[in-house]
Amino acid sequence: MNNPSFIAVAGPSGSGKTTWIQQSFKDQTAPLFYFYPGLDTISVDLMRLGYGFPEVQVIPDQQAQQVLSSLPDGAVVYLELGFHLSLESPLLSALPCHQVAVVPPYLQESEWHEWADEIVLGNDIAMLDAVKQPELWHTPLQGQVFDPPSLEVVLVELTGGAYGKVHRLKGIFEMPDGQALYIDFVAGLEGIEYTELNIPRWLEGRPHRLSGIEVTGYNLEQKLIAQTLLDGSLADDMIASYQQQYKTLNPVEEEIAV
Amino acid sequence: MKLAVMSCIHGNYEALNAVLSDIDRHKTDQIYCLGDLVGYGPHPNAVVEMIRSLDIPTCQGCWDEDIVDGLNACDCSYPSQLAEKRGKQAHEWTDQVIHPEVREYLANLPITLQAENLAFVHGSPNSQHEYLLPSMDGFAALERVLSTGADVLFCGHTHVPYVRDLEGGKLSMRVHQPGQAETQKQSTVSLKRIINAGSVGEPRHGRPNATYVLYDTDSKQVTLREVPYDYQKTCLAIVEQGLPPIFAWRLARGMEFAERADDPNHVCQR
Repeated sequence: MNNPSFIAVAGPSGSGKTTWIQQSFKDQTAPLFYFYPGLDTISVDLMRLGYGFPEVQVIPDQQAQQVLSSLPDGAVVYLELGFHLSLESPLLSALPCHQVAVVPPYLQESEWHEWADEIVLGNDIAMLDAVKQPELWHTPLQGQVFDPPSLEVVLVELTGGAYGKVHRLKGIFEMPDGQALYIDFVAGLEGIEYTELNIPRWLEGRPHRLSGIEVTGYNLEQKLIAQTLLDGSLADDMIASYQQQYKTLNPVEEEIAV
Repeated sequence: MKLAVMSCIHGNYEALNAVLSDIDRHKTDQIYCLGDLVGYGPHPNAVVEMIRSLDIPTCQGCWDEDIVDGLNACDCSYPSQLAEKRGKQAHEWTDQVIHPEVREYLANLPITLQAENLAFVHGSPNSQHEYLLPSMDGFAALERVLSTGADVLFCGHTHVPYVRDLEGGKLSMRVHQPGQAETQKQSTVSLKRIINAGSVGEPRHGRPNATYVLYDTDSKQVTLREVPYDYQKTCLAIVEQGLPPIFAWRLARGMEFAERADDPNHVCQR
Protein backbone atom coordinates (compact mmCIF):
# COMPACT_ATOMS: atom_id res chain seq x y z
CA MET A 1 0.00 0.00 0.00
CA ASN A 2 1.36 3.43 -1.00
CA ASN A 3 0.79 6.26 1.41
CA PRO A 4 -0.67 9.45 -0.03
CA SER A 5 1.71 12.32 -0.77
CA PHE A 6 0.94 15.87 0.24
CA ILE A 7 2.47 18.83 -1.56
CA ALA A 8 1.76 22.23 -0.04
CA VAL A 9 2.33 25.19 -2.36
CA ALA A 10 2.61 28.76 -1.11
CA GLY A 11 3.88 32.09 -2.39
CA PRO A 12 2.80 35.66 -3.01
CA SER A 13 -0.34 36.40 -5.02
CA GLY A 14 0.38 36.10 -8.74
CA SER A 15 3.70 34.28 -8.34
CA GLY A 16 2.44 31.29 -10.34
CA LYS A 17 1.34 28.74 -7.72
CA THR A 18 -1.69 27.52 -9.63
CA THR A 19 0.24 27.38 -12.89
CA TRP A 20 2.99 25.31 -11.23
CA ILE A 21 0.42 22.93 -9.74
CA GLN A 22 -1.37 22.52 -13.07
CA GLN A 23 1.92 21.80 -14.82
CA SER A 24 2.65 19.16 -12.18
CA PHE A 25 -0.70 17.48 -12.87
CA LYS A 26 0.40 16.76 -16.43
CA ASP A 27 3.17 14.37 -15.32
CA GLN A 28 1.10 12.36 -12.87
CA THR A 29 -0.57 8.98 -13.21
CA ALA A 30 -1.60 8.72 -9.54
CA PRO A 31 -5.06 9.74 -8.31
CA LEU A 32 -4.88 13.53 -8.00
CA PHE A 33 -6.55 15.77 -5.45
CA TYR A 34 -6.57 19.55 -5.12
CA PHE A 35 -7.35 21.44 -1.95
CA TYR A 36 -7.36 25.21 -1.54
CA PRO A 37 -8.46 25.93 2.02
CA GLY A 38 -10.93 28.77 2.22
CA LEU A 39 -11.46 29.02 -1.53
CA ASP A 40 -14.99 29.79 -2.55
CA THR A 41 -16.77 27.36 -4.85
CA ILE A 42 -17.07 30.10 -7.49
CA SER A 43 -13.29 30.41 -7.71
CA VAL A 44 -11.88 30.94 -11.19
CA ASP A 45 -9.02 28.54 -10.39
CA LEU A 46 -11.49 25.78 -9.61
CA MET A 47 -13.42 26.47 -12.79
CA ARG A 48 -10.24 26.34 -14.85
CA LEU A 49 -9.17 23.20 -13.09
CA GLY A 50 -12.51 21.58 -13.88
CA TYR A 51 -12.19 22.46 -17.58
CA GLY A 52 -8.51 21.54 -17.95
CA PHE A 53 -8.13 18.60 -15.59
CA PRO A 54 -11.50 16.94 -15.06
CA GLU A 55 -9.74 13.89 -13.60
CA VAL A 56 -8.48 15.91 -10.60
CA GLN A 57 -10.76 15.68 -7.60
CA VAL A 58 -11.32 19.00 -5.85
CA ILE A 59 -11.70 18.74 -2.08
CA PRO A 60 -14.37 21.11 -0.73
CA ASP A 61 -13.63 22.79 2.61
CA GLN A 62 -16.54 21.11 4.35
CA GLN A 63 -15.45 17.61 3.30
CA ALA A 64 -11.72 18.08 3.78
CA GLN A 65 -11.40 15.99 6.91
CA GLN A 66 -13.44 13.14 5.49
CA VAL A 67 -11.68 13.07 2.09
CA LEU A 68 -8.17 13.45 3.54
CA SER A 69 -8.73 10.55 5.91
CA SER A 70 -9.88 8.17 3.19
CA LEU A 71 -7.52 8.85 0.30
CA PRO A 72 -6.88 6.06 -2.19
CA ASP A 73 -3.52 4.29 -2.52
CA GLY A 74 -0.78 6.48 -3.95
CA ALA A 75 -2.94 9.60 -4.05
CA VAL A 76 -1.18 12.91 -4.54
CA VAL A 77 -2.80 15.88 -2.80
CA TYR A 78 -1.86 19.42 -3.77
CA LEU A 79 -2.67 22.05 -1.14
CA GLU A 80 -2.56 25.57 -2.45
CA LEU A 81 -2.23 28.25 0.21
CA GLY A 82 -3.70 31.62 -0.59
CA PHE A 83 -2.36 34.90 0.71
CA HIS A 84 -5.03 34.87 3.42
CA LEU A 85 -3.71 31.66 5.05
CA SER A 86 -0.82 31.67 7.54
CA LEU A 87 2.12 29.38 6.84
CA GLU A 88 1.84 28.32 10.48
CA SER A 89 -1.69 27.06 10.01
CA PRO A 90 -2.47 23.96 12.14
CA LEU A 91 -3.73 22.34 8.94
CA LEU A 92 -0.20 22.27 7.55
CA SER A 93 1.43 20.92 10.66
CA ALA A 94 -1.14 18.12 10.79
CA LEU A 95 -0.13 16.80 7.35
CA PRO A 96 3.25 15.42 6.26
CA CYS A 97 3.65 17.94 3.43
CA HIS A 98 6.48 18.54 1.02
CA GLN A 99 6.51 22.34 1.11
CA VAL A 100 7.02 24.22 -2.15
CA ALA A 101 7.30 28.01 -2.35
CA VAL A 102 6.75 29.73 -5.70
CA VAL A 103 8.43 33.12 -5.41
CA PRO A 104 9.49 35.94 -7.72
CA PRO A 105 13.14 35.57 -8.84
CA TYR A 106 14.28 38.81 -7.20
CA LEU A 107 13.02 37.79 -3.75
CA GLN A 108 15.98 36.37 -1.82
CA GLU A 109 14.64 36.25 1.73
CA SER A 110 11.07 35.86 2.91
CA GLU A 111 8.79 33.84 5.14
CA TRP A 112 8.26 31.52 2.17
CA HIS A 113 12.00 30.85 1.87
CA GLU A 114 12.18 29.89 5.54
CA TRP A 115 9.13 27.68 5.29
CA ALA A 116 9.84 25.82 2.04
CA ASP A 117 11.58 22.51 1.35
CA GLU A 118 11.77 23.49 -2.30
CA ILE A 119 11.93 26.91 -3.96
CA VAL A 120 10.46 27.41 -7.43
CA LEU A 121 11.17 30.64 -9.27
CA GLY A 122 7.88 32.06 -10.50
CA ASN A 123 6.64 35.29 -12.06
CA ASP A 124 8.57 38.53 -11.68
CA ILE A 125 5.64 40.24 -9.97
CA ALA A 126 5.17 43.34 -7.87
CA MET A 127 4.69 42.46 -4.20
CA LEU A 128 1.51 43.31 -2.34
CA ASP A 129 1.52 45.76 0.53
CA ALA A 130 2.89 43.73 3.47
CA VAL A 131 0.90 45.71 6.04
CA LYS A 132 -2.52 46.06 4.51
CA GLN A 133 -4.33 42.90 3.42
CA PRO A 134 -5.81 43.26 -0.09
CA GLU A 135 -9.48 42.81 -0.88
CA LEU A 136 -10.64 39.85 -2.90
CA TRP A 137 -13.72 40.48 -5.03
CA HIS A 138 -15.25 37.81 -7.16
CA THR A 139 -18.49 37.14 -8.92
CA PRO A 140 -19.89 34.35 -11.07
CA LEU A 141 -20.60 35.31 -14.69
CA GLN A 142 -22.42 32.18 -15.76
CA GLY A 143 -24.75 32.86 -18.68
CA GLN A 144 -23.11 36.19 -19.54
CA VAL A 145 -21.61 36.54 -23.02
CA PHE A 146 -19.33 39.51 -23.63
CA ASP A 147 -18.96 41.91 -26.51
CA PRO A 148 -15.20 41.43 -27.19
CA PRO A 149 -14.24 45.11 -27.75
CA SER A 150 -16.21 46.12 -24.65
CA LEU A 151 -14.47 43.46 -22.58
CA GLU A 152 -11.12 44.69 -23.81
CA VAL A 153 -11.96 48.24 -22.71
CA VAL A 154 -13.15 47.06 -19.28
CA LEU A 155 -10.01 45.01 -18.73
CA VAL A 156 -7.71 47.87 -19.74
CA GLU A 157 -9.54 50.20 -17.35
CA LEU A 158 -9.66 47.67 -14.52
CA THR A 159 -6.00 46.71 -14.71
CA GLY A 160 -5.04 50.36 -15.28
CA GLY A 161 -6.55 51.34 -11.92
CA ALA A 162 -9.79 53.04 -12.99
CA TYR A 163 -11.80 51.20 -10.33
CA GLY A 164 -9.15 50.79 -7.61
CA LYS A 165 -5.63 49.41 -7.51
CA VAL A 166 -5.70 45.94 -9.02
CA HIS A 167 -2.91 43.53 -8.15
CA ARG A 168 -4.35 40.42 -9.72
CA LEU A 169 -7.25 39.68 -12.03
CA LYS A 170 -8.30 36.35 -13.40
CA GLY A 171 -11.46 35.34 -15.10
CA ILE A 172 -13.25 33.04 -17.46
CA PHE A 173 -15.34 34.91 -20.02
CA GLU A 174 -17.73 33.60 -22.66
CA MET A 175 -17.40 35.03 -26.18
CA PRO A 176 -20.13 35.37 -28.83
CA ASP A 177 -18.41 32.83 -31.10
CA GLY A 178 -18.86 30.19 -28.38
CA GLN A 179 -15.29 30.25 -27.11
CA ALA A 180 -14.49 30.64 -23.43
CA LEU A 181 -11.36 32.64 -22.61
CA TYR A 182 -9.22 32.42 -19.51
CA ILE A 183 -7.89 35.91 -18.77
CA ASP A 184 -5.02 36.56 -16.39
CA PHE A 185 -3.38 39.79 -15.22
CA VAL A 186 -0.66 40.18 -12.60
CA ALA A 187 0.63 43.65 -11.64
CA GLY A 188 4.27 43.95 -12.63
CA LEU A 189 3.98 41.57 -15.57
CA GLU A 190 3.49 43.00 -19.03
CA GLY A 191 0.04 42.89 -20.57
CA ILE A 192 -3.04 40.79 -20.03
CA GLU A 193 -2.89 37.12 -20.97
CA TYR A 194 -5.76 35.64 -22.98
CA THR A 195 -5.97 31.84 -23.31
CA GLU A 196 -8.68 29.98 -25.18
CA LEU A 197 -9.99 27.14 -23.02
CA ASN A 198 -9.96 23.78 -24.73
CA ILE A 199 -13.68 23.12 -24.36
CA PRO A 200 -16.46 22.91 -26.97
CA ARG A 201 -17.87 26.15 -28.37
CA TRP A 202 -21.23 27.04 -26.83
CA LEU A 203 -23.46 28.07 -29.72
CA GLU A 204 -26.98 27.49 -28.36
CA GLY A 205 -28.09 30.51 -26.33
CA ARG A 206 -26.61 31.55 -23.02
CA PRO A 207 -23.89 29.15 -21.84
CA HIS A 208 -24.87 26.82 -19.00
CA ARG A 209 -21.35 26.36 -17.72
CA LEU A 210 -19.13 28.05 -15.17
CA SER A 211 -17.50 31.42 -15.76
CA GLY A 212 -16.52 34.24 -13.44
CA ILE A 213 -14.02 36.88 -12.40
CA GLU A 214 -11.75 37.39 -9.39
CA VAL A 215 -9.98 40.62 -8.58
CA THR A 216 -7.43 41.15 -5.82
CA GLY A 217 -6.42 44.70 -4.92
CA TYR A 218 -7.10 47.77 -2.87
CA ASN A 219 -10.00 50.26 -2.76
CA LEU A 220 -11.90 48.28 -5.36
CA GLU A 221 -15.13 49.93 -6.53
CA GLN A 222 -16.95 46.64 -6.64
CA LYS A 223 -20.40 47.86 -7.69
CA LEU A 224 -18.93 49.95 -10.48
CA ILE A 225 -16.81 47.04 -11.73
CA ALA A 226 -19.87 44.78 -11.77
CA GLN A 227 -21.98 47.40 -13.59
CA THR A 228 -19.28 48.10 -16.17
CA LEU A 229 -18.91 44.38 -16.87
CA LEU A 230 -22.67 44.09 -17.31
CA ASP A 231 -22.67 47.08 -19.69
CA GLY A 232 -20.33 45.07 -21.91
CA SER A 233 -22.36 41.86 -21.85
CA LEU A 234 -24.71 40.99 -24.69
CA ALA A 235 -28.51 40.74 -24.77
CA ASP A 236 -30.25 37.52 -25.85
CA ASP A 237 -30.96 38.70 -29.40
CA MET A 238 -27.35 39.76 -29.94
CA ILE A 239 -26.06 36.43 -28.64
CA ALA A 240 -28.43 34.56 -30.96
CA SER A 241 -27.40 36.73 -33.90
CA TYR A 242 -23.65 36.20 -33.33
CA GLN A 243 -24.08 32.46 -32.81
CA GLN A 244 -26.11 32.16 -36.00
CA GLN A 245 -23.50 34.17 -37.88
CA TYR A 246 -20.75 31.86 -36.62
CA LYS A 247 -22.71 28.75 -37.59
CA THR A 248 -23.37 30.15 -41.07
CA LEU A 249 -19.70 30.94 -41.62
CA ASN A 250 -18.54 27.63 -40.11
CA PRO A 251 -21.06 24.96 -41.12
CA VAL A 252 -20.52 21.58 -39.50
CA GLU A 253 -19.45 19.15 -42.20
CA GLU A 254 -21.71 16.18 -42.35
CA GLU A 255 -20.08 12.80 -42.26
CA ILE A 256 -20.28 10.96 -45.54
CA ALA A 257 -21.40 7.36 -45.20
CA VAL A 258 -19.40 4.96 -47.37
CA MET B 1 -1.03 83.28 -44.81
CA LYS B 2 -0.77 81.39 -41.56
CA LEU B 3 -3.76 79.28 -40.48
CA ALA B 4 -4.60 77.46 -37.28
CA VAL B 5 -7.00 74.52 -37.63
CA MET B 6 -8.53 72.79 -34.64
CA SER B 7 -11.17 70.15 -34.11
CA CYS B 8 -13.03 68.00 -31.57
CA ILE B 9 -13.15 70.28 -28.54
CA HIS B 10 -15.88 68.22 -26.87
CA GLY B 11 -16.88 70.68 -24.18
CA ASN B 12 -13.35 70.94 -22.78
CA TYR B 13 -13.06 74.66 -22.07
CA GLU B 14 -9.66 74.43 -20.34
CA ALA B 15 -8.13 72.74 -23.37
CA LEU B 16 -9.72 75.27 -25.75
CA ASN B 17 -8.32 78.18 -23.76
CA ALA B 18 -4.84 76.68 -23.82
CA VAL B 19 -4.99 76.11 -27.57
CA LEU B 20 -6.27 79.63 -28.23
CA SER B 21 -3.38 81.04 -26.19
CA ASP B 22 -0.92 78.91 -28.14
CA ILE B 23 -2.45 80.09 -31.44
CA ASP B 24 -2.16 83.66 -30.23
CA ARG B 25 1.55 83.19 -29.58
CA HIS B 26 2.02 81.94 -33.16
CA LYS B 27 0.35 85.04 -34.61
CA THR B 28 -1.91 83.32 -37.13
CA ASP B 29 -4.04 85.15 -39.67
CA GLN B 30 -7.08 82.91 -39.46
CA ILE B 31 -8.47 80.12 -37.26
CA TYR B 32 -10.76 77.34 -38.53
CA CYS B 33 -12.64 74.85 -36.40
CA LEU B 34 -13.76 71.44 -37.66
CA GLY B 35 -16.60 70.87 -35.22
CA ASP B 36 -17.51 68.58 -32.35
CA LEU B 37 -17.73 71.53 -30.03
CA VAL B 38 -19.87 69.53 -27.60
CA GLY B 39 -20.19 66.01 -26.20
CA TYR B 40 -18.51 64.15 -23.31
CA GLY B 41 -16.93 67.27 -21.79
CA PRO B 42 -18.41 69.38 -18.96
CA HIS B 43 -18.57 72.83 -20.60
CA PRO B 44 -20.47 72.60 -23.92
CA ASN B 45 -22.12 76.03 -23.64
CA ALA B 46 -18.93 77.86 -22.68
CA VAL B 47 -17.03 76.31 -25.57
CA VAL B 48 -19.65 77.29 -28.13
CA GLU B 49 -19.88 80.81 -26.72
CA MET B 50 -16.10 81.19 -27.00
CA ILE B 51 -16.04 79.99 -30.62
CA ARG B 52 -18.94 82.29 -31.48
CA SER B 53 -17.45 85.29 -29.75
CA LEU B 54 -14.22 84.91 -31.71
CA ASP B 55 -16.18 84.44 -34.93
CA ILE B 56 -14.18 81.35 -35.87
CA PRO B 57 -15.43 79.72 -39.10
CA THR B 58 -16.62 76.30 -37.94
CA CYS B 59 -18.12 73.27 -39.63
CA GLN B 60 -20.55 70.90 -38.01
CA GLY B 61 -19.21 67.82 -36.24
CA CYS B 62 -20.98 64.54 -35.63
CA TRP B 63 -21.71 65.37 -31.98
CA ASP B 64 -23.02 68.80 -32.99
CA GLU B 65 -25.31 67.09 -35.49
CA ASP B 66 -26.46 64.50 -32.94
CA ILE B 67 -27.40 67.20 -30.45
CA VAL B 68 -29.53 68.86 -33.13
CA ASP B 69 -30.97 65.80 -34.91
CA GLY B 70 -30.80 63.11 -32.23
CA LEU B 71 -28.91 59.86 -32.26
CA ASN B 72 -29.25 57.82 -35.42
CA ALA B 73 -25.71 56.63 -35.73
CA CYS B 74 -24.31 54.10 -38.10
CA ASP B 75 -22.13 51.26 -36.75
CA CYS B 76 -18.98 53.34 -37.12
CA SER B 77 -19.98 55.74 -34.37
CA TYR B 78 -19.59 53.17 -31.64
CA PRO B 79 -17.12 50.34 -31.98
CA SER B 80 -18.32 48.56 -28.85
CA GLN B 81 -21.46 48.14 -26.81
CA LEU B 82 -19.78 49.80 -23.84
CA ALA B 83 -18.75 52.79 -25.95
CA GLU B 84 -22.34 53.10 -27.16
CA LYS B 85 -23.74 53.11 -23.62
CA ARG B 86 -21.22 55.72 -22.53
CA GLY B 87 -21.81 57.79 -25.64
CA LYS B 88 -25.53 57.80 -24.97
CA GLN B 89 -24.97 58.88 -21.36
CA ALA B 90 -22.85 61.77 -22.56
CA HIS B 91 -25.40 62.66 -25.24
CA GLU B 92 -28.29 62.72 -22.76
CA TRP B 93 -26.35 64.89 -20.31
CA THR B 94 -25.31 67.34 -23.05
CA ASP B 95 -28.84 67.40 -24.46
CA GLN B 96 -30.18 68.43 -21.05
CA VAL B 97 -27.72 71.21 -20.27
CA ILE B 98 -27.31 72.84 -23.65
CA HIS B 99 -28.82 76.31 -24.10
CA PRO B 100 -31.40 76.86 -26.88
CA GLU B 101 -29.25 79.46 -28.66
CA VAL B 102 -26.27 77.09 -28.58
CA ARG B 103 -28.37 74.33 -30.14
CA GLU B 104 -29.51 76.77 -32.82
CA TYR B 105 -25.94 77.80 -33.53
CA LEU B 106 -24.90 74.14 -33.89
CA ALA B 107 -27.86 73.48 -36.18
CA ASN B 108 -26.77 76.21 -38.57
CA LEU B 109 -23.15 75.18 -38.91
CA PRO B 110 -22.12 74.23 -42.45
CA ILE B 111 -20.98 70.69 -43.25
CA THR B 112 -18.05 71.90 -45.34
CA LEU B 113 -16.02 75.08 -45.46
CA GLN B 114 -13.97 76.07 -48.47
CA ALA B 115 -11.26 78.71 -48.90
CA GLU B 116 -9.50 78.78 -52.28
CA ASN B 117 -7.77 75.38 -52.63
CA LEU B 118 -8.47 74.36 -49.03
CA ALA B 119 -11.48 72.41 -47.78
CA PHE B 120 -12.49 71.88 -44.16
CA VAL B 121 -14.73 69.05 -42.91
CA HIS B 122 -15.26 67.27 -39.63
CA GLY B 123 -15.11 63.60 -40.67
CA SER B 124 -15.07 63.40 -44.44
CA PRO B 125 -16.80 65.23 -47.28
CA ASN B 126 -19.31 62.33 -47.27
CA SER B 127 -20.38 62.58 -43.68
CA GLN B 128 -19.46 64.08 -40.33
CA HIS B 129 -19.46 60.50 -39.06
CA GLU B 130 -17.02 58.99 -41.52
CA TYR B 131 -13.43 58.46 -40.40
CA LEU B 132 -10.58 59.34 -42.73
CA LEU B 133 -8.06 57.12 -41.01
CA PRO B 134 -4.43 57.35 -42.11
CA SER B 135 -4.64 53.68 -43.10
CA MET B 136 -7.63 54.25 -45.41
CA ASP B 137 -7.28 52.85 -48.92
CA GLY B 138 -5.36 55.38 -51.03
CA PHE B 139 -7.90 55.49 -53.85
CA ALA B 140 -10.79 56.08 -51.43
CA ALA B 141 -8.80 58.81 -49.66
CA LEU B 142 -8.01 60.47 -52.99
CA GLU B 143 -11.67 60.30 -53.99
CA ARG B 144 -12.65 62.12 -50.80
CA VAL B 145 -10.22 64.96 -51.53
CA LEU B 146 -11.17 65.19 -55.22
CA SER B 147 -14.86 65.40 -54.31
CA THR B 148 -14.20 68.76 -52.64
CA GLY B 149 -12.30 70.25 -55.57
CA ALA B 150 -9.56 71.30 -53.14
CA ASP B 151 -5.90 70.39 -52.98
CA VAL B 152 -5.76 70.19 -49.20
CA LEU B 153 -8.49 68.63 -47.10
CA PHE B 154 -8.50 69.38 -43.37
CA CYS B 155 -10.41 66.93 -41.19
CA GLY B 156 -10.73 65.81 -37.59
CA HIS B 157 -12.95 63.14 -36.01
CA THR B 158 -10.23 60.47 -35.51
CA HIS B 159 -8.69 62.46 -32.64
CA VAL B 160 -5.22 61.51 -33.79
CA PRO B 161 -3.46 64.16 -35.91
CA TYR B 162 -1.68 63.20 -39.11
CA VAL B 163 -0.60 64.47 -42.51
CA ARG B 164 -1.08 62.27 -45.54
CA ASP B 165 0.28 63.16 -48.96
CA LEU B 166 -1.43 61.57 -51.94
CA GLU B 167 1.00 61.96 -54.79
CA GLY B 168 1.61 60.40 -58.15
CA GLY B 169 -2.01 59.31 -58.40
CA LYS B 170 -2.93 57.93 -61.81
CA LEU B 171 -6.57 57.49 -62.69
CA SER B 172 -7.55 55.06 -65.45
CA MET B 173 -11.08 54.91 -66.81
CA ARG B 174 -12.46 52.37 -69.26
CA VAL B 175 -15.88 53.14 -70.65
CA HIS B 176 -17.75 50.35 -72.39
CA GLN B 177 -21.10 51.27 -73.95
CA PRO B 178 -23.33 48.91 -75.89
CA GLY B 179 -22.71 49.16 -79.63
CA GLN B 180 -19.66 51.34 -79.21
CA ALA B 181 -15.98 50.67 -79.01
CA GLU B 182 -14.40 50.74 -75.58
CA THR B 183 -12.69 54.01 -74.74
CA GLN B 184 -9.88 54.55 -72.28
CA LYS B 185 -8.84 57.70 -70.48
CA GLN B 186 -5.93 58.25 -68.21
CA SER B 187 -5.03 61.23 -66.11
CA THR B 188 -2.49 62.02 -63.45
CA VAL B 189 -3.61 63.71 -60.27
CA SER B 190 -1.38 66.37 -58.81
CA LEU B 191 -0.39 66.26 -55.17
CA LYS B 192 -3.32 66.21 -52.78
CA ARG B 193 -3.05 66.31 -49.06
CA ILE B 194 -5.15 65.31 -46.05
CA ILE B 195 -4.35 67.04 -42.78
CA ASN B 196 -5.99 65.78 -39.63
CA ALA B 197 -6.04 68.35 -36.83
CA GLY B 198 -6.33 65.83 -33.98
CA SER B 199 -8.41 66.82 -30.98
CA VAL B 200 -8.37 69.78 -28.65
CA GLY B 201 -10.51 68.36 -25.88
CA GLU B 202 -10.45 64.60 -26.20
CA PRO B 203 -7.04 63.41 -27.37
CA ARG B 204 -6.38 59.80 -28.18
CA HIS B 205 -2.64 59.74 -28.49
CA GLY B 206 -1.77 58.47 -25.02
CA ARG B 207 -1.21 61.89 -23.43
CA PRO B 208 -3.79 64.36 -22.17
CA ASN B 209 -2.36 67.27 -24.19
CA ALA B 210 -4.54 69.09 -26.71
CA THR B 211 -3.55 68.94 -30.39
CA TYR B 212 -4.19 71.19 -33.39
CA VAL B 213 -2.31 72.19 -36.57
CA LEU B 214 -0.69 75.28 -38.01
CA TYR B 215 -0.60 75.59 -41.81
CA ASP B 216 1.30 78.06 -43.93
CA THR B 217 -0.48 78.52 -47.27
CA ASP B 218 2.67 79.92 -48.92
CA SER B 219 5.27 77.39 -47.82
CA LYS B 220 2.67 74.55 -47.45
CA GLN B 221 4.34 73.75 -44.16
CA VAL B 222 2.26 71.86 -41.61
CA THR B 223 3.07 72.00 -37.89
CA LEU B 224 1.30 69.60 -35.55
CA ARG B 225 1.02 71.31 -32.18
CA GLU B 226 0.63 69.51 -28.86
CA VAL B 227 -0.38 71.80 -26.04
CA PRO B 228 -0.30 70.90 -22.33
CA TYR B 229 -3.10 72.31 -20.22
CA ASP B 230 -4.56 71.84 -16.75
CA TYR B 231 -6.55 68.72 -17.63
CA GLN B 232 -7.15 68.03 -13.93
CA LYS B 233 -9.52 71.02 -13.87
CA THR B 234 -11.56 69.42 -16.66
CA CYS B 235 -11.46 66.05 -14.86
CA LEU B 236 -12.76 67.67 -11.69
CA ALA B 237 -15.54 69.42 -13.62
CA ILE B 238 -16.54 66.12 -15.27
CA VAL B 239 -17.07 64.56 -11.84
CA GLU B 240 -18.72 67.68 -10.38
CA GLN B 241 -21.17 67.90 -13.26
CA GLY B 242 -22.29 64.30 -12.73
CA LEU B 243 -20.78 62.88 -15.90
CA PRO B 244 -19.35 59.35 -15.55
CA PRO B 245 -16.06 59.54 -13.60
CA ILE B 246 -14.50 57.08 -16.06
CA PHE B 247 -14.47 59.98 -18.60
CA ALA B 248 -12.08 61.85 -16.27
CA TRP B 249 -9.88 58.79 -15.80
CA ARG B 250 -9.63 58.27 -19.57
CA LEU B 251 -9.07 61.97 -20.35
CA ALA B 252 -6.15 62.09 -17.89
CA ARG B 253 -4.49 59.27 -19.84
CA GLY B 254 -5.13 60.55 -23.34
CA MET B 255 -7.35 57.56 -23.96
CA GLU B 256 -10.43 59.33 -25.34
CA PHE B 257 -13.70 59.04 -23.47
CA ALA B 258 -15.39 56.20 -25.26
CA GLU B 259 -15.34 56.44 -29.00
CA ARG B 260 -12.73 55.09 -31.34
CA ALA B 261 -12.60 53.80 -34.89
CA ASP B 262 -11.01 50.59 -35.98
CA ASP B 263 -12.09 49.83 -39.50
CA PRO B 264 -10.34 52.00 -42.10
CA ASN B 265 -12.47 50.53 -44.90
CA HIS B 266 -15.82 51.29 -43.36
CA VAL B 267 -18.00 53.60 -45.42
CA CYS B 268 -20.38 55.47 -43.19
CA GLN B 269 -24.01 54.61 -44.00
CA ARG B 270 -25.60 57.36 -42.00
